[in-house]
Amino acid sequence: MMNVSFNELQGLSRKAFIGIGFSDGHADDAADMVAWMESFDLHGLEALNAGLQHLMEEDPDTLPQILYQDGDLAVIDGQDLSVLRSSNLALELAFAKARARGLSVIKIRRCRQRQLIMGYLARLAGRGMNITAFWRNAQIPLTEQVVGFRANSSAPSIRVYSVEEVPEENEPNSGITIVMANHVDLLPTMRSDFRYDLLAKHEESDLMAVRDRAMVNGIEVEVSLWERLKVLAHMTLVASSAVSSRGAGEED
Amino acid sequence: MIELITQPAQLTPVLRPPALVMDLERLGSLNASRLSFARSLIRQMGRQRWHISCDRFELDALGHGQAIYRIQTPYGRYHAVIFSQRLDDSQRSDRVIANAWDVTFGLVEGDVEDALMTSLAENIPLQEAGRQHPRLLVISRANKSVRNFDVFVDALSKGSQPPVSLLKEAGYLYRTTAVYGNGKFGIADFGRLKENADFRRPFSAQMTAVYVLRQFSIAQVEHIARHRHAHSAVGLHIDLQRYLGIGNSTGLGMAPFLINHPQLINQWIHAREQALALAKMQIPSEEDRSQLLLLCRRAYHYFVETVVTDTHQTSRNAAVIEELSGVIAWLEQIAIEPDLWQQLTDWGEAALSLESQELLNALLIELYPAQVDVLEDAMGVDEKLDLTPDMPLVQLKQVIETHLDWALSEDFDDPVSCHWFWYRSVEKEEPRLGVRGAEDGVEKELSLAIAPRAQRTYRAISDYLEEHPRALTIEFLMAQPKFMDIIRRIQTMAATPYGEIRANLWHRDMKPIHLLRTKLSFLGANRFDPRSDRWVRVTFFQGAPLIDELNEEPADLSAFDDWSFPLMPSDSSGESAAQLATK
Repeated sequence: MMNVSFNELQGLSRKAFIGIGFSDGHADDAADMVAWMESFDLHGLEALNAGLQHLMEEDPDTLPQILYQDGDLAVIDGQDLSVLRSSNLALELAFAKARARGLSVIKIRRCRQRQLIMGYLARLAGRGMNITAFWRNAQIPLTEQVVGFRANSSAPSIRVYSVEEVPEENEPNSGITIVMANHVDLLPTMRSDFRYDLLAKHEESDLMAVRDRAMVNGIEVEVSLWERLKVLAHMTLVASSAVSSRGAGEED
Repeated sequence: MIELITQPAQLTPVLRPPALVMDLERLGSLNASRLSFARSLIRQMGRQRWHISCDRFELDALGHGQAIYRIQTPYGRYHAVIFSQRLDDSQRSDRVIANAWDVTFGLVEGDVEDALMTSLAENIPLQEAGRQHPRLLVISRANKSVRNFDVFVDALSKGSQPPVSLLKEAGYLYRTTAVYGNGKFGIADFGRLKENADFRRPFSAQMTAVYVLRQFSIAQVEHIARHRHAHSAVGLHIDLQRYLGIGNSTGLGMAPFLINHPQLINQWIHAREQALALAKMQIPSEEDRSQLLLLCRRAYHYFVETVVTDTHQTSRNAAVIEELSGVIAWLEQIAIEPDLWQQLTDWGEAALSLESQELLNALLIELYPAQVDVLEDAMGVDEKLDLTPDMPLVQLKQVIETHLDWALSEDFDDPVSCHWFWYRSVEKEEPRLGVRGAEDGVEKELSLAIAPRAQRTYRAISDYLEEHPRALTIEFLMAQPKFMDIIRRIQTMAATPYGEIRANLWHRDMKPIHLLRTKLSFLGANRFDPRSDRWVRVTFFQGAPLIDELNEEPADLSAFDDWSFPLMPSDSSGESAAQLATK
């Protein structure tokens, strides 16, 4: 393991995403999402690492498609892309609808690396939006995750729990549902008549403490992943030559 | 009869228009001002009674080894750790691609325990190639001005003072080549300093490290001189110590910062423009006029003494000298009226070169510390370019027409307007310029040029609106996501006057050095000495109070702060410091 700063992680990730073929804006957002997750110790790098190969194989020209929308609801086909590539504008669409209508619901179907969406949700929460995101993981047992941001809060509340008493269903669990509200708090509170087992619970205050520690001590990164990101970032650089060296000005 | 009570009108400062202020050549004519970070830092140090002392000075006879300086503020303790090593002349380069330096140093938050010192000694000398400690706020490196260094050591060891004229061309013993902050190579993020009372202002930690290096450079030459001839060696005369600054060599590496931080640049320029507008509003007294005359005369002599190698800068400086004479004559003869400063700057705008205009503005700001100095707390900003997704697209189009008219008027069909492209080299990611169509790498071009991007965006929006006249910004972006970052920038920056530098960075005649000087002037650099249109050497802290003066807790903080445009510690006849020393 090695220790890096937040800015360093964000900067290298951004260059790596550009190396993969992201546009500048999408690379900015994807890097912010990964670094944000990691600064809260929410395993952003682990998620990135697990999906990096797929990310590199995605067609950069494939765009998420709007399947349905009205004033306060939208359904997006994420085209089996990573949320790093497909979620930012979909979430901006939800934001615009919530601003106009008070509350909006957006469903992004068929998307990958859903954990990482929290980084962009944090950004929208910082712009005064209350947000809840919900998704299911197709594991045994079935687990559900709810993430809530209060407006203007930089840390979420998170609940992860397993459920057993669920009707059989055949829908793939690769979607994510997001609710945004201008004026209403949407933080998750567990309440159910059906049995569930709480697997993880992160409160805002705990996460802020984690973040503060990361800012003081830096962030631990696996050396192999760091080297992998450096290789991708290297793809943004131009080979040096005598001519190019003069492009920085003659040696004094 | 009812008596009407008239309230005095609330005057608001009138800021200069962005079209004037954000012109690249004008920005490239800025001088340091009292709002520059080096000046703000010295004021802060004096006001808050910072104490700086040398905790360790373990150098061999040649000046190689380690030194640690303790910096005690009312809020915390820091240490500047300096490593000096022998460097072969062939390795001494100002380029970022260098791998070794005469001196490397860092600023540490808190104490330096033995284990930390071991880690610092292993990594700081490696700079970019090292893995730096998160308690480091800054790392940097510097190379000797070999000629100055050798002459200084030689003279001091023989019991005499070095000729002060030597400092006309390079007013320093060391020249930094990069000063890293904000998380680079593992050091602390700037975000961590937001709540730090000592270093929350931009670049204040970097400036502190450089200021301490200046003290080290003096101590080091004296140390080497003593080891060379213990019986005859003398210390450096205090006037020469004060006249020594720290050099800096800056290349294209600084340029992307100016483009990538538009909100921060807006804060800096806005504060400076506010200061100028506030100064121009003041009704001058005879004392104010005398003070401005004094500052003009000092600046005049400063430029007379300044020697630079670049012929263009030499002629610019010559124009300043000539025009300052005119300003002095104007000030001596014109009757004092309430709007004298407005008259002066109006006349200056019509009659003086950009360099003289901005110099005069910097001097005018000096007169009103009570109004101006509060602005130094407005130099920082939380940077975030946010999208307004629900903005009607037709409104976005109008925003571009209003705020980026300068970009829309550029003819990108003309090859001259597309001459350069910016990229990063594999050599330490150094930013470079290539000729479009003639050099490799255009497919990896950095998107630094805002003008062509704004124009392309405008065209795409116009086309989309023809089909979707009532579209929102987000609908356009869902269809054409590649425009997201530039639209985010346009929407955010539309609320600010001064963030965008109005220049086509692709244009054949664009001078990158103007970008560098813009930032350097806000850092507090003086003596701009261009080595090409992509490299410049400058000096920091020349004339600044010494650490001993700081530690004496100055009673007169105004005098402590009055060190801009320093003059050689001798008269113009070339009297040497040795002669001075005998006085």
